[in-house]
Amino acid sequence: MGHEFQFYSEAGLPVWTGIKASNLRSLQNGIRRVSGSSIFYHVHHALLRRHFTAAEYMNDFARWVWLHLNQPALAEKLASIDPWDFTSVRQVRERLLEYLHTYVGEMETFFRVPERDEFQFLELRSVVFPTGLRARDLRSFHDALQKVGLGSLFYHLVEARLRLGRLSNDFSEWLSERLKEDELAERINDLSPYAYNLWQIRDKIVEMIETRLS
Amino acid sequence: MKTIRLDEYAPLVGAEEIAEIRALAACLGSVSLQHINSTSQGGGVAEILSWLVPLMQDVGIDARWTVIEGSAEFFEVTKAFHNALHGMSVEITPEMFALFREVGEQNLRKVDGQADFIVVHDPQPLGLIAAKRQGGATKWIWRCHIDLSEADLRVWGFLRTYVERFDAAVFHLPEYAKELPIDQFILPPAIDPLSEKNRELDPSEVQAVLERFGIDPEKPIVLQVSRFDRLKDPVGVLEAFRLVRRSHECQLILAGGSAADDPEGAQVLAEVRERAEKLPDVHILDLPPTSHREINALQRAAAVVVQKSIREGFGLVVTEAMWKGKPVVGSAVGGIRRQIIHGVTGFLAHTVEGTAFRIRQLLSHPELAAQMGWAAREYVRTNFLLTQYLKNWLLLLLTVKHPWRGSKQWAVFAA
Repeated sequence: MGHEFQFYSEAGLPVWTGIKASNLRSLQNGIRRVSGSSIFYHVHHALLRRHFTAAEYMNDFARWVWLHLNQPALAEKLASIDPWDFTSVRQVRERLLEYLHTYVGEMETFFRVPERDEFQFLELRSVVFPTGLRARDLRSFHDALQKVGLGSLFYHLVEARLRLGRLSNDFSEWLSERLKEDELAERINDLSPYAYNLWQIRDKIVEMIETRLS
Repeated sequence: MKTIRLDEYAPLVGAEEIAEIRALAACLGSVSLQHINSTSQGGGVAEILSWLVPLMQDVGIDARWTVIEGSAEFFEVTKAFHNALHGMSVEITPEMFALFREVGEQNLRKVDGQADFIVVHDPQPLGLIAAKRQGGATKWIWRCHIDLSEADLRVWGFLRTYVERFDAAVFHLPEYAKELPIDQFILPPAIDPLSEKNRELDPSEVQAVLERFGIDPEKPIVLQVSRFDRLKDPVGVLEAFRLVRRSHECQLILAGGSAADDPEGAQVLAEVRERAEKLPDVHILDLPPTSHREINALQRAAAVVVQKSIREGFGLVVTEAMWKGKPVVGSAVGGIRRQIIHGVTGFLAHTVEGTAFRIRQLLSHPELAAQMGWAAREYVRTNFLLTQYLKNWLLLLLTVKHPWRGSKQWAVFAA
């Protein structure tokens, strides 16, 4: 990571995979088969699409199990999968399969939904691009942060965990490594997008920096 | 073509979003693109292109729009294909396929062989793919705006041979995608928040429209905007309203397009009128197709919006109501399901009784209605405004220009 912080953004478009699920068993098979970018789309990217519903957020799998398979207990389990807790898509896939395995093992018959209600697995083609915003110190970081969009917050906070391979984010890494702002970095890393929407997280970070600068 | 600038949308989506769109466009570099469709006026595709082309130009794409030419007979054939693709029973003859091929060949000269991208909209101009050069640099994209989920196999089997030669296909919803050897992207449609149908209205304008139609502004309004068509289930809405009216003082507005040229529509309208006579506080508004401001005002005046369709494409009328901060009770069909996050941005219902229950719930709890309306507007802001549509197009062009697959899921453009 260079001395300057460069704000990137991420945007993606879903592609149809042709893989569908009509019951728990086929959902399990689908989750096993699909690419990592499909799991990313249905768990992580769902958070971006519905970020303002943070308090009620449910990933696409949980929502489908709840609405179409009418399995609220399993839906709750699947909904508890918080992208913030994982550093790889593989871990997310394993956790999904673990929860599904328990339920599939307990059931002998599988309710099948009509064709129109099938779960359609999509995968994401993402593009990461520079926003042109940069920061050299805490003040310019504070100023730039107020100009970045949702895609940028998602890239540096949520997707960063997968890229870095650890429970951290780009903002915290840079603040800690380059500006030695360890406490600030730690507090930012505690702001789960499962609890706050991305705009609220941005406002909270801005507020924290303002307190630090005052 | 409209004069339309991306920056005009900054107050609605945020300057940061506009900046992101421009940054994404910069990754694409200098490219040229030709949109090809079958009509310059009327219909959803021409409406979308009337703002998409200038917006693409505004972000630096050398975009233009070409319309194919064809005889009345050709358009009768494509209308029959259109109906067959929607699952209707239509007589299809070998002569129809021959005419489709012939008109495609006659229009080949309209293709800009130098363009980086050629985007063909809907089935009518599919024959132009014959101009694609083997190994050429031009990328061909088919944008399908229609629901193919119940497509007639003869017609789809014929058109498929054209579609397979494209580099990518684009559908509104995953349910519309077909088994094809090319990438199929999912790109939902969008609304223009500054259009006459969606722009902010002064309360006095809303009031004036209500007065004109004799609607009591003090009584909560339940509204469905749709054609008088059985697939929109206006009779079901009346039935739900009857149940709601038992416990809640409110009024129902069924506002729809003119049914003059549609015999079945006229029949449905007559039936709805007859049933409505037995109920108090029902307003049936048979509006001309240009009534954009009236629809806008009615949506803004509503307490609850209903869309009780039996079948629906994407359902942009739901998007319009959601953008106006209204909670929508919609049937769990088609694109309505993609827009309504049940319990968050509105309610999904499956029956007359369920619809009535949710309407009552929203009328009884204005704070819940307000919260849902807020979430609905935010969901539209993030996903279904024309700025997002433009962004999705830029992503699509980047993805088609720089294809990548497999485990590496991100294409990174360096600063």
